[in-house]
Amino acid sequence: MNGKKLGAGLRGLLNCLIPILLAFLVGGIVIAVIGENPLNTYWVLLQKSLFTKVGFQNTLHYAGPMILTGLAIAVTFKANIYNMGVEGSLLLGAFFAGILGSRMTGNPFVVKLVCLAVGVLCGMAYSLVPALLKAKLRADEMVVTLMLNYALAKVLEFLTTGIFRDNGSGYVCTPMVSESAMFSRIFGKSRLTAFFFIVVAIWIVMTLYMRRGRLGYEIKAMGMNAEFAEATGMNVGKKIILLMLLSGALAGFAGAGWMMEDQYRYTLTFSGNPGLGWDGMLIALMGGHNPVGIFIASIFYAALKTGSDKINMYTNVPKEIVALIQALIVLFLAVKFIDGRFHLFERLKGKKGKESKTCS
Amino acid sequence: MYMIQTVGLTKRFGSFTANDHIDLAIPEKEITCIVGENGAGKTTLMNMLYGLLEPTEGEIRIRGSQVKLRSPIDAIANGIGMVHQHFKLVPSLSVYENILLGAEITKKGGLIDRKEEIRKVEELIHNYHFELNPLDKVEDISVGSRQRVEILKMLYRNVDILILDEPTAVLTPQEANDLIDRLKDLKEKGKTIIVITHKLREVMEVSDSVVVIKRGKVVGSMRTKDTSEQELAQMMVGRDVMLTVENDRRKVSDGGVIYQAENLTTINSFGKECLKNVSFQVARGEILGIAGVEGNGQSELVKIISGLMEATAGRVMFDGEDVTNIWPDKLRQKGIGIIPEDRFAQGLCRTMTLTENAVAGYHTQKEVCRGGLMNTKVMRQRRDSQIERFDIRVGDLEGTVGALSGGNAQKIIVARELSAGPKLLIACQPTRGIDIGSIESIHRQLLEYRNQGNAVILISSELPEIMSLSDRVIVLYKGEVTGEVDPTKTDMMQIGLLMAGITDKEAAQ
Repeated sequence: MNGKKLGAGLRGLLNCLIPILLAFLVGGIVIAVIGENPLNTYWVLLQKSLFTKVGFQNTLHYAGPMILTGLAIAVTFKANIYNMGVEGSLLLGAFFAGILGSRMTGNPFVVKLVCLAVGVLCGMAYSLVPALLKAKLRADEMVVTLMLNYALAKVLEFLTTGIFRDNGSGYVCTPMVSESAMFSRIFGKSRLTAFFFIVVAIWIVMTLYMRRGRLGYEIKAMGMNAEFAEATGMNVGKKIILLMLLSGALAGFAGAGWMMEDQYRYTLTFSGNPGLGWDGMLIALMGGHNPVGIFIASIFYAALKTGSDKINMYTNVPKEIVALIQALIVLFLAVKFIDGRFHLFERLKGKKGKESKTCS
Repeated sequence: MYMIQTVGLTKRFGSFTANDHIDLAIPEKEITCIVGENGAGKTTLMNMLYGLLEPTEGEIRIRGSQVKLRSPIDAIANGIGMVHQHFKLVPSLSVYENILLGAEITKKGGLIDRKEEIRKVEELIHNYHFELNPLDKVEDISVGSRQRVEILKMLYRNVDILILDEPTAVLTPQEANDLIDRLKDLKEKGKTIIVITHKLREVMEVSDSVVVIKRGKVVGSMRTKDTSEQELAQMMVGRDVMLTVENDRRKVSDGGVIYQAENLTTINSFGKECLKNVSFQVARGEILGIAGVEGNGQSELVKIISGLMEATAGRVMFDGEDVTNIWPDKLRQKGIGIIPEDRFAQGLCRTMTLTENAVAGYHTQKEVCRGGLMNTKVMRQRRDSQIERFDIRVGDLEGTVGALSGGNAQKIIVARELSAGPKLLIACQPTRGIDIGSIESIHRQLLEYRNQGNAVILISSELPEIMSLSDRVIVLYKGEVTGEVDPTKTDMMQIGLLMAGITDKEAAQ
């Protein structure tokens, strides 16, 4: 019977590895067409990001917020709530953590704690809106969260260019956070800060509660059979709000952390393109909404980010090739995603079976 | 000459046989009712006739010649039309647009000829004496009118055979009467009609012949004039398997009432009052049976008393406490065990493990969950003790519940609920669709539980089950209690009358 379990695990692993390999394969063809050696390019990409000390530390640094946003996506998606607002929670959390951080000085520990707490609260407040609409009025959370992201982006743009603009700077941004709100680099050469280790601690706690906790149990029940969840006494409406708040908190924390360890000020490209929240979605999908999978996927994804700069340096391949590979991963992963929600493969199989029967 | 004939028509879903060698013969230009409990296989049968499902075995003949129906298009081409229970209309379009959807009349150049369409639909409405305005929007008209649109949709496609699935389920009594007149009129015009229903009064009123289906088989087929409501009720719920569990009918009840429902009333999602002033009480050491033909309010009653639906009026007292409209986990905490109606929708989660299912509903208990972390050791212990005590056959202890047979899955629920040591057990359809061995085992458990001085509310559509286990039986009809009987002093006949809504007084007259 263990074989069966192993089979399912293997299928999950393949489901995650095949899209990545396919993406690298297609990316390799493109590199070859440019006239460069794909294997050489990929070697540079991985070697510089995973197998050198500084490179690996930088990879971990980039992985930090993505682990959090990946978890933020997983806790909702696994319960069949499609929270697309992780990016928004992250931005709002980051913005106000940054504003507060720029105006607060004093004990570095206290300042950091307060800024992170504000980030968490902002993230939660942001996800509360769609959560209430979903639980009370049955508004589709996917639509609400998607739309709200655009509204928020514009509001933050307005605040950044207006009230909170740092006039001393040559470009549109908020003032830099104070020294005491900054996480400093531990090893000097690499960008790694203490924030990553806080992330790891949170990840351990989340792993424990998702695997062995009541939280994981209820998420599983809600995601697999909402009627069953209700019949066993879970107030599904309340749980939706709770999970959305948890998701918002994780995302807000990620945003505040990214502000205080890397960006130091809010700019219009604060979270990159695509944002860290969207990266989190990809990572959660790659990792099968499973905490361990999310951790590994974050490292892998961060390695691509770190490595992309090195490609420019050591080969003639433009760094955009990495964006191409990321896009291809999304594309190939989407196939699995559809399978999960719409049972595409089962349907295709069913149809085939039916057709062959009628033919015979 | 038969309009539709099926010969040995069989449909299997995996190991489950939904229709088992069904031989039907539907006479031309008559109304035939097909009756049976939920899950008896009526809908599967109709879906095969309408081309939505392919038969595993057997054949369908129309006017004597064999046909293969691969889709509803095939069915319509062969003159079979279906009116579904849940209408398939576009609310924002008008009546004529809905009727002609997919069969639009176009002018040269592909534009829709509105004038011609409206004229055609008006003609159709006139021919069949339907009351409808082709220009009304579907969202603005009544449910009864929407059903007429559905029927016209089929008539426009020139079908000779009309299948209606539970057509009166959503209608008010007046609309239902109107529909019956309409159907009789269509019969006069030469249509053959099949009505799926479990409302026996309508069967008697509208049909020429009746077919009773039970557990995927035809158990009776007769002319309507040769049968009666109570005979049909008995055929629908009667069981062909002998019950082997001996009920010694030991007197263990001290008469102390533990559970009391007063004037429970509720409305369903269609806004129809489906439960009216239902009151009953249960004493310690007593099994109260609730009988009735399915669809007479039992499901709603169970949902209310198990915390899945709200009563709009009335209250429930348990052990001196008011437990009206509280959540299922709170009910369980107070000492009420619940065996829900639908095993895999509410009782268990197929894709979760045995261990996880073994504590479902009790997963917030202190022994199971402390500080937000589940104690897997305790969970496994519970699972093992339940499996051992209730003799559940399990292939893989760490596997999912979906791998179990229906009987073993049901035993997991019974084991889970009884192991928690409740003072009252709500058992809804505890043995529906499971093997005889499991039925016996569950019956024995229920009796043993009662003999320990506990109370049971047993809701079942299997009349023999109710009769052999219960100490008292109340009968529901159209959401109301029509009577209470002592199963040792009454026979199936009398309960059959009550189930058909005929009270003692009426029968005496």
